Amino acid sequence: MQNLFNRLTFIAMALALCVVVLGAYVRLSNAGLGCPDWPGCYGHITVPHHQVAQQAFPDKPLEAPKAWKEMVHRYFAGTLAVLILTIFVTAWRGRGQLNTKPILPSVLLLLVMLQAALGMWTVTLLLKPVIVSLHLLGGMATLGVLTWLVSKRLPAAADISMRSWALLALVILVCQIALGGWTSSNYAALACPDFPMCQGAWAPHTDFFHGFRLIRELGQNADGSQLSLQALTAIHVMHRLGALFTFLYLGWFGSKLLKISGLAVWGRLLLGMLLVQIALGISNVVLSLPLAVAVAHNAGAAILLMTLVVINSKLNQG
Amino acid sequence: MSSSTISDMATNFQRFSVNCRSFFLLCKPRVSALIVFTAIIGMFLATPGMVPLNILLAATVGIALSSGAAAAFNCLIEQEIDARMARTRGRPLPTKQVTSSQTLVFATIVATTGLVILYFYVNPLTMWLTFGTFLGYAVIYTIFLKPATPLNIVIGGASGAMPPILGWAAVNNTVSPEALILFLIIFAWTPPHFWALALYRRGEYAKSGLPMLPVTHGEEFTRLQILYYTLILIAVTLIPAAMGMSGWIYLLGILALDARFLWYAINIHRNYSDDLAKRAFRFSIWYLTWLFAVLLVDHYFHFPI
Repeated sequence: MQNLFNRLTFIAMALALCVVVLGAYVRLSNAGLGCPDWPGCYGHITVPHHQVAQQAFPDKPLEAPKAWKEMVHRYFAGTLAVLILTIFVTAWRGRGQLNTKPILPSVLLLLVMLQAALGMWTVTLLLKPVIVSLHLLGGMATLGVLTWLVSKRLPAAADISMRSWALLALVILVCQIALGGWTSSNYAALACPDFPMCQGAWAPHTDFFHGFRLIRELGQNADGSQLSLQALTAIHVMHRLGALFTFLYLGWFGSKLLKISGLAVWGRLLLGMLLVQIALGISNVVLSLPLAVAVAHNAGAAILLMTLVVINSKLNQG
Repeated sequence: MSSSTISDMATNFQRFSVNCRSFFLLCKPRVSALIVFTAIIGMFLATPGMVPLNILLAATVGIALSSGAAAAFNCLIEQEIDARMARTRGRPLPTKQVTSSQTLVFATIVATTGLVILYFYVNPLTMWLTFGTFLGYAVIYTIFLKPATPLNIVIGGASGAMPPILGWAAVNNTVSPEALILFLIIFAWTPPHFWALALYRRGEYAKSGLPMLPVTHGEEFTRLQILYYTLILIAVTLIPAAMGMSGWIYLLGILALDARFLWYAINIHRNYSDDLAKRAFRFSIWYLTWLFAVLLVDHYFHFPI
């Protein structure tokens, strides 16, 4: 039974990574509203023909490539949900025999159901930035929990002194991912077209008050007026400052890991991915957000998260 | 004046001071201070501007007196139990610094004064609510609830959770949903706060004869309940932000406070030690203080979420 559980969790983890990257691809190619409804597309299980779509939603014309991107993301996500349900059932049936108590797979099931709801609201609430950001965080959380379940098979590297630092690293990374999600869902990535300065200045005009009001529509302030460039600049600048902070802390933390046996290789992976992620972030700005680089930046964040989860898992075993 | 008269006066003054201090201690000053603090914050949260000074003063004095009197009644009724427990046997009644009848008279005068001040200088609603809280704690909790069930402090926590409502009523002459949320926060906080104490003092509570949870249901069960109630507390403390009542400053503050509280709760469940429970208990007091302080700052520096 442990073998079955191992295989299921590993496949689910890999699939979750795919779903996260696909989700980023959908968002970044502006296909988030490719289908105006959920879970069907214009009421169908695949992307229907133009005439059918027109009849179902006459005021929302079909753009087939976008609709297909959206539906492929949903197919993969649906498969992941079924897989997680299987993991849940296996965990309960095998409780006592497996290396994992059923609580985490139960949380995982609740998480994926919440994710499905967030996916629905992303469409029905018309890409409200707070929903899109939560959907991204939910996907990352699902990936994180699956990674934790898989990493329990790795040998422990118990070093109690590093545990709090490792947890802090994870918290900081999650905050930075949240800032990244907020940047992307508000389309603030191009608010600063240059690097390292922003709009030609070290201190551009920013409006944090409006930029970080969470409950509002896309592109608008809470009162319906248009979201200003200053607000978008504030969002972007916050992500850059967060990146600097994350880089410094994770860099320090990773370098400390290099000296611990069993964690050295993970420390190297962390440092390597950190550099890659920073490079991708800067490229996003300097090359004006090419789709491949933007998607890779999201994937890089996911891989960084997985790395930190593994490190935390190894430190907290035994 | 002769030297003997002066020394008589000095001795009398000393006796008077000692007695004053004993009566003061009967009012459980540290608990009452936190109660009054939460009531004052309730007053400030009730209005966007400044609380009228006469209301602020009268309500603070009235609530403080009522809270002190309720504590004194509690000491009076529980003096035998207090004598049996190490934590409390130094209190004024077990140590015979004051007598039962002195305490009864003192508590009655203080309670009446407090309630009269509230009635005439604040508003009748606040007086009645405070009176109800007083009865809830001094009579219902102390006499009936505490010896009756291990859920005693959960239900009795309602009395301790009233002060923000009292403060709000003092300013607005009404009970609003926001005030009820503050009530809920303290209500959810009370069980993990008290059970942490009951855990590391379980030996004494066993001697006292009171049905505290670690004695009636065991330590492991109590530790699990602390974890569950902490989760409830976390959920409840997020309501002000979710409701739009509080903004970013509150949200960031409460996330940090809740993370620390959760850390204590998880560790109490996983790696219990008496020292940990003691630290958790002390932290829970700071937690509530900081929570209300952050609510206050957020009220005036409101960055909506």
